[in-house]
Amino acid sequence: MTQQGKCEEQGKREERPPTVESASESADDESSVAIAVEGLRKRFGSGPDAVTAVEDVSLEIEAGSVVGLLGPNGAGKTTTIKSILGMVLPDEGSVRIHGEDVYENPRAAYAHVDAMLEGARNDYWRLTVRENLRYFATIGGVDPDSVADRHATLLDKLDLAEKADEPVRSLSRGMKQKVSLASVLASDADVVFLDEPTLGLDVESSLTLRRELRRIVAERNLTVVVSSHDMDVIEDVCDRVVIMRDGRVIADDTVSALRGRFDAQGYRITSPDFDADLLAELRDRFEVADVEYLGEQTRVEVATDSDGFYALMDYLRRHDVTLDAVETVEADLEDVFVELTGGEA
Amino acid sequence: MTDGRANLTATHPDASRPAGYAQLAKAVLYREYLVFVRYPANAIGGIVISVFFFGLLFYGGRMLAGRALTDSIEGIIVGYFLWTLSVGAYSSISNDIGSEVQWGTLERHVMTPFGFAPVAFLKGVAKVVRTFITSAVVLAVMLLVTGTTLQLNVLTVVVIAGLSIASVLGLGFAAGGVTVLYKRVGNWLNLLQFGFIVLISAPAFDVGWLRFLPLAQGSALLQRAMIDGTRLWEFPIPDLAILAGVAVGYVLLGYLVFQYATRRARRLGVLGDY
Repeated sequence: MTQQGKCEEQGKREERPPTVESASESADDESSVAIAVEGLRKRFGSGPDAVTAVEDVSLEIEAGSVVGLLGPNGAGKTTTIKSILGMVLPDEGSVRIHGEDVYENPRAAYAHVDAMLEGARNDYWRLTVRENLRYFATIGGVDPDSVADRHATLLDKLDLAEKADEPVRSLSRGMKQKVSLASVLASDADVVFLDEPTLGLDVESSLTLRRELRRIVAERNLTVVVSSHDMDVIEDVCDRVVIMRDGRVIADDTVSALRGRFDAQGYRITSPDFDADLLAELRDRFEVADVEYLGEQTRVEVATDSDGFYALMDYLRRHDVTLDAVETVEADLEDVFVELTGGEA
Repeated sequence: MTDGRANLTATHPDASRPAGYAQLAKAVLYREYLVFVRYPANAIGGIVISVFFFGLLFYGGRMLAGRALTDSIEGIIVGYFLWTLSVGAYSSISNDIGSEVQWGTLERHVMTPFGFAPVAFLKGVAKVVRTFITSAVVLAVMLLVTGTTLQLNVLTVVVIAGLSIASVLGLGFAAGGVTVLYKRVGNWLNLLQFGFIVLISAPAFDVGWLRFLPLAQGSALLQRAMIDGTRLWEFPIPDLAILAGVAVGYVLLGYLVFQYATRRARRLGVLGDY
């Protein structure tokens, strides 16, 4: 994160709820940090055609936390993840995973890490599901026999148990995605990178995967970095969100704190007293975003800030409108993202 | 450089044990075995094509050259056997690296606490073992078709042929490195296989420096072993030392090229991009 960004975020960061590890080991900050990125910078190419992919990114991610990495295309997310993994060598900066320097001592750092990278199979389709788990557990430095029970549980929880002895190539796309996730969790890696983990999954599979991911994270005290365009996934599983744009970190906070930065976007009023004349007048005076007829009731959504809300209430009182319900329409993560990134996809 | 595997298990409650190099070797070889037995079409296809081309060479050559070919058939069979071994080892390792790049599994092998070198070495060994099996079948068919007998001291043949194709394995690693950097160049790199014919038929004993090229020394020794019946321990020590030195040298050179290429790919941000 840039120095300016750091200053902007400092106050918000202190509000972040402590993770399990940071709460229990608050006296030992060093051991609670799973990933420490300092001054990461990467340019591709040279001369006038050079592209800065990552510019002075610094992050610390506590052990046991789930962090979402968001940004429009070309924001530098993938380069950042690959630089943390040592798959891209940065021009400047350092990365430590549980204290081990990824560039100086990669084997020690890799003992902690595995990754599911976007657009790749990440496993062998000609092997069965179980064979993949055993193979990648071994490659990850773990005797597969010693984690056979863990593999069985993992397969069961991800609804893969029935397909455990089938070659991955014969499975559906969603199942392949789950096998990819399972193989990443098959070893003892306690820092896991998931790039678009729910890509191609149907709604039910995505929900299952998110639920199981949360459970596994809690059980194994995993540190997870998730990159996804699916805001629901990020909101659902992440403790904290890092938003990047043009290679820089532009926001780094909890989901609720990010949402809280923006005023309520509007208010939903439900009443039996909204008639056509009143609605027409309401439209003249306020920004009516939506009108929904619910039998006897009418629900009107008015886009306004808190000052406008008082004016709206005064107006409704003058017209003797009975209020059955008043709801706040808050910004969701997608609104926050669009606001911060200027609406880039 | 620290081996990170020991750091792991303390952080997990379910008493996992670290895997050793023996388990790594078992896992890599077992995966190769599974693919071999489960999808035999590739191996069988390779054998059929090798036998077909040998048939063309043998029957076509006999029609054209008559007795001259029959007189030199033993040398042709040994050379062809070594060529099938070389092509198998070279193409399997270079193509395998290309496939791993495409599948996104290369990164996971780079990110292993064992380090990529032992994993790559074991993958190479697995490819050589597999190639020995298919080339042995091709050799048996060639001997049957031509009615030829050769001296097949298993220890001598395996050691000499193994060290010979180790140098090709080094070339395969280098080609794999080029694939990591430049991606879809597999077809061009496969053309190198035809250069192996020149190396196998090089007069290593007559022109000294040729011995230091891949395959040349091994081919000359293999001819003596399989045609003249010379046993491994009957070869002069310097001849075996050159064979071993060339094998180790090219494997190291190939690995260094691979390391350089992957490091450059990481610098350019193209490792794994396909």
